[in-house]
Amino acid sequence: MAHPAHYREAHPLVFVITHWINLISMVALACSGFYIHYPFFSGFMGVARGMHFFFMYVLIINLTLRIVLAFFVKSATVLGSREVDTDIKNWLPQKANVHQFGAWIKYYTFFKKDHPLGAKYGVLQKGSYILTVPLTFLMAYTGFCIYSPVMDWGFFQAGLNLVNGPMNMRIIHYFCMWVFIIFTAIHAYLANVEGVAPSRLIFAWKEEEGLHFDADGNPAGGKSH
Amino acid sequence: MAHEDHGAVYDLLKSRGVSRRDFLKYCGSLAAMLGLSEAMVPQMVAAVESGTKLQPALWLNGGSCSGCTESIAQVDTPDVASIVLDLLSINYFETIMMAQGDDAEKAAEETIKEGGYILIYEGSVMTGQDGNALVINGRKSTEILAEAAAGAAAVLAVGSCAVDGGWVAAAPNPAGAIGVQEFLTDEGISTPVINLPTCPVNPEWIVAMVVDVLLLGKLADGSILDELDDFGRPKLIYGQSIHDNCPRRGHFENGEFVYQFGSEEEKKGYCLYPLGCKGPQTFTNCPIVRWNSRSGWCIEAGSPCIGCGSANPTKHGGNWVDVGTPFLNRHRDLPLGGLGNTAPGTVAGVVGGVAGAALVAHGVGMKVAGRMDGGADYEPMKAHDAKKMKKGGGE
Repeated sequence: MAHPAHYREAHPLVFVITHWINLISMVALACSGFYIHYPFFSGFMGVARGMHFFFMYVLIINLTLRIVLAFFVKSATVLGSREVDTDIKNWLPQKANVHQFGAWIKYYTFFKKDHPLGAKYGVLQKGSYILTVPLTFLMAYTGFCIYSPVMDWGFFQAGLNLVNGPMNMRIIHYFCMWVFIIFTAIHAYLANVEGVAPSRLIFAWKEEEGLHFDADGNPAGGKSH
Repeated sequence: MAHEDHGAVYDLLKSRGVSRRDFLKYCGSLAAMLGLSEAMVPQMVAAVESGTKLQPALWLNGGSCSGCTESIAQVDTPDVASIVLDLLSINYFETIMMAQGDDAEKAAEETIKEGGYILIYEGSVMTGQDGNALVINGRKSTEILAEAAAGAAAVLAVGSCAVDGGWVAAAPNPAGAIGVQEFLTDEGISTPVINLPTCPVNPEWIVAMVVDVLLLGKLADGSILDELDDFGRPKLIYGQSIHDNCPRRGHFENGEFVYQFGSEEEKKGYCLYPLGCKGPQTFTNCPIVRWNSRSGWCIEAGSPCIGCGSANPTKHGGNWVDVGTPFLNRHRDLPLGGLGNTAPGTVAGVVGGVAGAALVAHGVGMKVAGRMDGGADYEPMKAHDAKKMKKGGGE
């Protein structure tokens, strides 16, 4: 057994909720967005657009709230530990994320056999989590740029001018969505490839026993509660 | 204003078989297009009536197909628009002027010498091959434009080609076609440019500009510039999308679409969105003003909008052909160098497929490496900490 313990401290309840909201919004946005891009069947455009706008606001408000909460809520500094610190410190790259970079890449590409110790999350994992923040805002920005009631605002006009008009903006919006889909696929894969404990924790807030680590991500010996 | 003063206009109206009632109605619709209140109609009528002094104008053609000329000559019966346009004394108009050869050139030269005229430019500015891409009467067309624009009170760039090069500027653009505004900026000529894109230009807009700019004096006091958007287009003409004013918009909201020409849905006049209609991203008042003496327009004729009003006079690559082809697809194609043009959906599908395949391959690797069941054992210590310990006996 070489799995870290999955304790609730890793994902405090409020983040379990924001994660649920993210998931639901993104699925709704991707599906309604695909329909708006090309209406495969008839009779749904009004609903699809309504959904798309509604969930966009939900997603943006949720993300903003999540960022603000990161400065107030404490979460575990590493998986397999109940030691907590302000969440933003664990969200942004931690020291061990930086100097374990090479080890993680080697591990992912099968050049290293044993599992690297680390901070919270693997290096690529953390990098991609951070990138989803600007990506979500970019998604909203490109979306507003092709939404006629606001596209003539200076802030959006500037972007439209930069990329040569709404057609190109629409393609960027479309590609960003694909980045999200690919991210989600990799995210779901990495989270579950070594067992479904992470999913049980983030979705159902269920703990699972495993190896225990200290606040710096070093083995703390045996299993602990 | 004394009634006798209006003699010239009344004679014109009468000789063309236009009643005063038609004339007033037309001024009303013109006011609506210019976003003026109804209270402005009498002022507009007076302006047109008193406009008996002819305003000199030059109509020059660059790299054009003369489609805009055709458009302006569309009227099959004389109407009020043509009378308003008669207020322009167009001293040079290659395609339709009577004079030829030296006489014609002389008329242009004299107008330019006197200055203060309106320059209407149709077609792209052909800068390619050092300006030799278009030579008229032994002179580079770029030289002619620079000279004519410098002395003009204002330039009306009519049609998408004059605005940003239009389809002439579409890749690979061997003629080096650009729009008038960019050319004048490069040449350091500060004459104001009013851009009227679409292919071809709608003559109603030229009429609107003649009334707005000349008769209501907005050019003289400079107020016209406040009414132009960032692209030098009159906001009132180019301020709203075709989609927002489309007569088929209800079908769009209901999700009633035409997926194929010749289908039942097409017969019912459903929305043309899945056939690549560019109405949602094209900003002109075509659905309101319409074309061909207000008898109809593209979508009423059953064709999706192909976005000919999209233009970016300040940047290359924004012309409507580059951003709109293939016209019947929802997305434009992306140029991928040697690989030719590719649809964004294909690019996304390939990248998505590669990512999916990579995950499957990685999953197989994980299984083979025995990481799936139970996972790999952890390293005893981070390499970084091991190094520290080696160096200084660390903690």
